[in-house]
Amino acid sequence: MPGREDALVVDGVSVGYGRHPILHDVSLTARAGEVTGLIGPNGSGKTTMVRVASRSLRPAQGSVRIGGVDPYSIPARSSARLIGVVPQEVAPAFSYSVLEMVLMGRSPYLGRFGTAKPEDWAKVRWAMAAANVQHLADRPIEELSGGEHQRVILAQALAQDAPVLLLDEPTTHLDIRHVFEFLGVVRRLARRDGKTVLAVFHDLNIAAATCDRIVALSAGRVVANGPPGEVLTRDLVWEVFGVEADVAPAESTGRPFVSVAPPPDAGGPEGTGARAHVIGGAGRGAAAMRALAERGFEVTAGVLHSGDTDDMVAERLGLPRVTVPPFSPIDARSAADCRELLRSAALLVVADAPFGPGNLENLRLAQEFAAAGTRTLVLEQVPIEERDFTGGEATTLWRALRRRAHVCSSAGELARALDAATQRS
Amino acid sequence: MLAPGHRRLVLPLLSALLAGSVLAGVAIGAVPISPWDSLRLFAWRLHLTGRPGGVSVATTVILFQLRLPRVLLAAVVGAGLATAGTVFQALFRNAMADPAIIGVSSGAALGAIVVILTGAGAAAGGLGVSAAAFITALATAILVYRLARLGPAIQVATLLLAGVAVAAIISALMSLVMTFSGQEIRSIYFWLLGGLGNASWRSLESSAPFVLAGAAFAVWSAADLNLTALGEERAGQLGLEVERFKRRMLAVGTLMTAAAVSASGVIGFVGLMTPHILRLAVGADHRKLLPASILGGASLMVLADLAARSVLPPVEIPVGVVTALLGGPFFLYLLRRERRSAGARA
Repeated sequence: MPGREDALVVDGVSVGYGRHPILHDVSLTARAGEVTGLIGPNGSGKTTMVRVASRSLRPAQGSVRIGGVDPYSIPARSSARLIGVVPQEVAPAFSYSVLEMVLMGRSPYLGRFGTAKPEDWAKVRWAMAAANVQHLADRPIEELSGGEHQRVILAQALAQDAPVLLLDEPTTHLDIRHVFEFLGVVRRLARRDGKTVLAVFHDLNIAAATCDRIVALSAGRVVANGPPGEVLTRDLVWEVFGVEADVAPAESTGRPFVSVAPPPDAGGPEGTGARAHVIGGAGRGAAAMRALAERGFEVTAGVLHSGDTDDMVAERLGLPRVTVPPFSPIDARSAADCRELLRSAALLVVADAPFGPGNLENLRLAQEFAAAGTRTLVLEQVPIEERDFTGGEATTLWRALRRRAHVCSSAGELARALDAATQRS
Repeated sequence: MLAPGHRRLVLPLLSALLAGSVLAGVAIGAVPISPWDSLRLFAWRLHLTGRPGGVSVATTVILFQLRLPRVLLAAVVGAGLATAGTVFQALFRNAMADPAIIGVSSGAALGAIVVILTGAGAAAGGLGVSAAAFITALATAILVYRLARLGPAIQVATLLLAGVAVAAIISALMSLVMTFSGQEIRSIYFWLLGGLGNASWRSLESSAPFVLAGAAFAVWSAADLNLTALGEERAGQLGLEVERFKRRMLAVGTLMTAAAVSASGVIGFVGLMTPHILRLAVGADHRKLLPASILGGASLMVLADLAARSVLPPVEIPVGVVTALLGGPFFLYLLRRERRSAGARA
């Protein structure tokens, strides 16, 4: 039965990656039986908050309590029975079947060798039905679309049967019908099963329609906390997002509905069939390649090292790309080939790959084309200082590139930037 | 990939393949022994029947003192390397990992050689050799892992590069140590290319327990290996104590490698090919993949050794040459496949 002991309490949490502080003295409570939404602009600390609450990132200060228990003080296995998480991206190294993936959600309950009991199978079946993936059971995970993949991860988390569910932009890759179904499932989990749900939403209207309470983060601090009607105001949207919006109660639900006029300088040539080029490496470009391909872009990639994770993803997606053999630095010929691809690209996406002497040329190419006016999106989940293996040269190039690009701090944000680009065309 | 309905046939088929390989392995040689005679002699030795008639004493000695220990050692070495390869591939989240490619095998060989040449092994026996091999192999594994880890992920190129470089340095050190201690080129060959020519019941006794224990532990941990392949953070969210598990499995994979290398030198590519091929047959789930890799690796090694000693009789090719001739092109094919569809190159 629902009870207060299931609630998630975050008290005075501060945390950062390296020297970059992300959250400052954040306190919030998610109650059992309710859906609590987390909103805020890019880089405001939403994903970091989810990682802190999911026992993945220990806070430097402050505490997390699940029904009074500090998840960092108990074994991972016990914690996984208390908290289920749907992160933005899960990338299996091998192609498991959907059924195998969902069964892994039962790990905290299974004995050695992972032998499932009838009760485990019942939970797996229920989770697959709730996430609407039961028809995919035998399909290899790498063949699924982004939306199907996301629903499989939801099923995996639901199979954990935990009283607390953390969702990080769970509807990014879903079409509108699946968003609707998904949010129905989440609300039922809270209302009927008494689960505590904390979910990051980017779409303010989905947040308003789904959540019982909304917490707004800005620059790592809580700036508003309360029912949607109190939090989602014209003033808050302006203060937090810097956007002029109309906020009025929706006719059907009475909840706030936020409408935003596109800023006047928006616009671009991209759209379905447009050419887009991804510069990645070490698996960091995978999300961008998938997101672009799904939106109908003609995607190219490079320069990549053969056999690199991104190279394998590009292979699976059937993308043309420029590669150099493993261990080799980017030579003049590959750079020229890549420049050829970049010249006809309307959109350039640069992922936060590690940069060393072997692939620094990629950053020079990106910088060259961004400077020449190619519309450029930068995905930056990991600060450049942590992936600069050139002794500072990459950092200088990255910072210059960043100034000429639209910076996205998560895969979800990137997806939305692409959606915006596609819709405008 | 096989349909799920057919996957259940794979383990019985692999078991039959292993049994057939062992029978072929003991049958073929300078003195052929018919499988029927072998089976009758096994039955007699296991006290199931009386001594079979019409079988010479020489045949009995060849079977039990020469062929059988060698074939069983090949099976143990193959199972150990294939299991270690499967474990390393899951830990490094990378299907290109193999004990020899990432340098762990060379590390083990260096430790074994130093102990053998300094005579320290004489005091401790076969166990001393295995223990030294384990220690240097573990040091190599940790070194390569550290070198390959850039930021949040292990990069394929860095992993292979670090492994190849470290293995080359260690092989050079091995050759140097052996040259200075007046070893024959033959014995250097043995360690660098691998061979089962020194097989005996004794070498089997000092390697089989470690390989069997390691393989059993790996199978026991199969479900958790599945989790590590999802990424460290996700594995933690699903209830795995990631750091502890990683250290433990790195030690288990290294232990199996060290036991195999102590008995047979550095044999490459078995740990790469076996899980790769079997993933196509049984899927990626380690609960099925590990048992299949154990049986498949054992069969592959028995057949490779059979080829090594019977292709050009009476010359015996180092078995590592056979696995490299099979596995090297396979490895290049894997790399090439990633590269081929780079249409921009055309």
